[in-house]
Amino acid sequence: MKKITRFRSYLLSAAFAFGAIALSGCDDETDSPAGEYARNGVFISNEGAFTKSNASVSFYSHDSKLVENESFKKVNAPLVLGDVLQHMVQQGDRLYLVMNNSGKVVATNANTLKAEGEIAGLEAPRYFAALNDDKAYVTEWLGYDPATYLYGNGRVAVVDLKTLTVTKTVTVGVQPEQLVIAGSKLYVANSGGNTVTVINTATDAIETTITVNDGPNSLALDRNNVLWVSSQGIKAYDPVDWSVSEENSTPGSLAKINTGSNAVMSTLTFSRNAPAPGKLTPNPNGDKLYYVFNNKVWVQDVNSSSLPTKPLIDRGTYVPYGFNGLGIEPASGTIYAGKATDYASNGWVVRYNPQSGAAVDSFRVGIAPNGFVFR
Amino acid sequence: MAQQDTTLYHLRTVEIFGKPAEVFASGSRVSTLDSSFISTYASGSVADALLARTPVFLKTNGPSGIAVPAFRGTSPTHTAVLWNGLNISQPALGQNDMALLPLSSIGSIAVQHGAAGATYGSGAIGGAVLLNSASRQEPGFGADVMQEVGSFGRYFSSASARYSGQKVSVAFSGYHLAAENDFTFRDYGRIGAPTRRQDQAQVAQHGFTQDLSWQLSPNTRLALHGWYTYANREVPPALGAANTNAEQLDRNLRLMTELNHSSNWGETSVKAAVFNDYLHFTDNSNHSTTDINTYQAQVEQTYTYARRWSLRGGLNLQHFEADVQGYGRQVTEDRASAFLLFRYDPSKRLDLSLNLRQAFVKGYNPTPAPTLGGNWLMLEHKEHKLYLKGNVSGSYRVPTLNERFWQPGGNPDIKPEQGWSFETGLRHRYTLGPVHLDSEVSVYRMLVDNWIQWMPVTSGYWSPRNLQKVRTQGIELSSRASTTLGSWQLAATGAYTYTAAEQVKAYEGNQELNRQLAHVPLHKAQLSTDLSFRAWTLLGHLTHTGFRYTDNSNVSSLPGYTLLNLALQKKFTLGQYPLVASLRSDNVTDRTYTVLENMPMPPRSLAVGLRFVIP
Repeated sequence: MKKITRFRSYLLSAAFAFGAIALSGCDDETDSPAGEYARNGVFISNEGAFTKSNASVSFYSHDSKLVENESFKKVNAPLVLGDVLQHMVQQGDRLYLVMNNSGKVVATNANTLKAEGEIAGLEAPRYFAALNDDKAYVTEWLGYDPATYLYGNGRVAVVDLKTLTVTKTVTVGVQPEQLVIAGSKLYVANSGGNTVTVINTATDAIETTITVNDGPNSLALDRNNVLWVSSQGIKAYDPVDWSVSEENSTPGSLAKINTGSNAVMSTLTFSRNAPAPGKLTPNPNGDKLYYVFNNKVWVQDVNSSSLPTKPLIDRGTYVPYGFNGLGIEPASGTIYAGKATDYASNGWVVRYNPQSGAAVDSFRVGIAPNGFVFR
Repeated sequence: MAQQDTTLYHLRTVEIFGKPAEVFASGSRVSTLDSSFISTYASGSVADALLARTPVFLKTNGPSGIAVPAFRGTSPTHTAVLWNGLNISQPALGQNDMALLPLSSIGSIAVQHGAAGATYGSGAIGGAVLLNSASRQEPGFGADVMQEVGSFGRYFSSASARYSGQKVSVAFSGYHLAAENDFTFRDYGRIGAPTRRQDQAQVAQHGFTQDLSWQLSPNTRLALHGWYTYANREVPPALGAANTNAEQLDRNLRLMTELNHSSNWGETSVKAAVFNDYLHFTDNSNHSTTDINTYQAQVEQTYTYARRWSLRGGLNLQHFEADVQGYGRQVTEDRASAFLLFRYDPSKRLDLSLNLRQAFVKGYNPTPAPTLGGNWLMLEHKEHKLYLKGNVSGSYRVPTLNERFWQPGGNPDIKPEQGWSFETGLRHRYTLGPVHLDSEVSVYRMLVDNWIQWMPVTSGYWSPRNLQKVRTQGIELSSRASTTLGSWQLAATGAYTYTAAEQVKAYEGNQELNRQLAHVPLHKAQLSTDLSFRAWTLLGHLTHTGFRYTDNSNVSSLPGYTLLNLALQKKFTLGQYPLVASLRSDNVTDRTYTVLENMPMPPRSLAVGLRFVIP
């Protein structure tokens, strides 16, 4: 028995040695491990398949034009990142990874990706926003009832980033999703209801609640410090082909909120009922907002009082999760879209020209790319 | 794994009942699990048996988890499971969990490799597992009691009793299994990788079988078979994933009656069955029940002419009544299929089979599934015999109820899958005195059209789609040598399989063409030995499973692993009855491995058992 095992281990080590040579051959960018990721590039968060714990981080270098997949694993193996990487945020020298179905946020060094700790004990964390290097907020969904398919009120966890512990929780509306900090206020979109909760970041107490259209799912601040809210409306499904019914759904909208008075300034309602807007993303100088609607990317001029009539990016009949993630490169304004083919094979990042909306190039990343952090 | 020689089933009219369907599988690869293995591993499940003794890969998510077989690179829904000749695949999922089928309830197991849709019906695309109740025993009374205690809080007990008289034979058996499965593992899902005890893999299983047979007249026999299994299992989460307290409760009741009659017109067999499959899955956010009644009837007539040919015609009817929470309503369905199986032995050196099956399902139009196969004794020189085998088979799979009715996502327009399989092989047999050598090599290619896969759709749901043409091809090698030396009996089996499974055409969706499908190992090798010396028996299995990709893009993979299992038995006599003591160890080398990603498997385990037999 022993002989066989030893022979096998020789064989394996020979195979690994060969593999290592082959790998290092196509990956000659790896130099100083201390700042492996402290360079001109972009981190891509890959959600992974639910319950499989195969979420991953990819890194694309602008200088070498090479993409490296499984970066977290490469640095931290055998440590497993976790299940469903929902959101990824850089704050200071740290990169925070919200692991939805692991119930935690993993804190890594943003330059090395080395795991440094975790914020544990969260329930279905969704999105993360840092006030500064000491304090951050995480939205959590709570109270799912399998009988009614409905959630109860969610909460916002207040996190001490020095100790990586939750210091306080604030109960908000149903299914709190994205959150944005504007001045001394934290805005939380309660996607299971029709409100945006406003929390004072000095006291961490609720200041007020703003009513918007049903299903607020994403938030963005423009150059005028106006908060934009995308609401998806109420969607009803066709029981035969499971498409969203145009007849029985209500339309989505974009609402503008004055962050001084917390009043809704105006609401732009979509003319179609079935598609839902989402993934509001401002451009580098904040005069345009990109968003996804009907599996296409549209641009909203922040000073315009009407919705655009034509999409910027239209791929025709496209994969259902063709715009699973949206990001804007600060230097060039290039649009990055995460394209998830399915949850059993790797996705793509497709880059688009911000003026023409034409696809520039693409590269392969992990399963279901959904977000970008530009370095 | 004993290769079953279809040529050994000489067509004899004296063997009036139970001519196995394998007779009509000329030229295909059929292996049987020998009874010594089944009795040694009686405390295990069919999953354990397939893992140790066949090249079939089993996807399993842990010690308590679901274990579903994947034949020749196909998916678990591509395996038909038959019990006493009737398909028992759970109709909602279209597959069978092999961990739910205890070996102690089964008399014999045969495994058909490759498509055999004509013989076994829907789902037999990659292969079929054929389970049969224990056949008639020696006249008189017999009983058997077994108790086993093993690592990680495992307790297994079973008892059986039987009586065979002139006309009536009766057999009962029952078993009970409780396992904590609280082994320790490194939790790489947490910073610092703490050592943790598995606390979400507890299992409680029990079940009964009942077999009655009544010889109504010299030519007529009536049999009743009953089989009940119960399993309550905790489903462990993947490393790094939240523990959602997932639990699965399965209850399966299978009752069938079988009437066999022999006349000048040949053998008539009438089977009627009712199955109830109940499944209750719960976790923190799900609460789902599946409760399905299946009524099944099968009529067959087999006519055998001398030793030259045999013809079997039959009709199978199925009626499903599904009460599935996910469907939102009661769903009923009727299916029928007609089949004609023909075996022809033009000479002593050649046997051929030609089979045909046509299925009928409302709203579907499955294509006919034919099979043509042959087995030819090409060369015979002294003690050597060399056979040439070949087989072409069509197969099909009617979409499962979930694929059509699950809300949301079920696709009423889904088309049935259809497959073609081609295989050929050589078999060499050598016998000199007590030395037997039996080797076989086969190559195959299989094409499956309209392969069904669940895909995310625009509205945010998953829905099954006919996505692809999948091609699997491979080589299977096996060789078994056995001999007797004085009081020693020695046997060794070596087997190797190479499986390439790729999507070769895509109609929509992702275009992962010409890449190995996820979770299909390219290489699998096995070595097993059976040694016996007087009252002692030693069984050993060494299996190597090669690396598997975990995604269809062939980017991430899991390393291969080699496992060694050993079982030692000693037979004592207690008064006039045998008492068998056994010591068994699985994963003897304490290898850390996972079958599916991030699902830790148990380390080395030990089990001691005692079995008291009244023959």
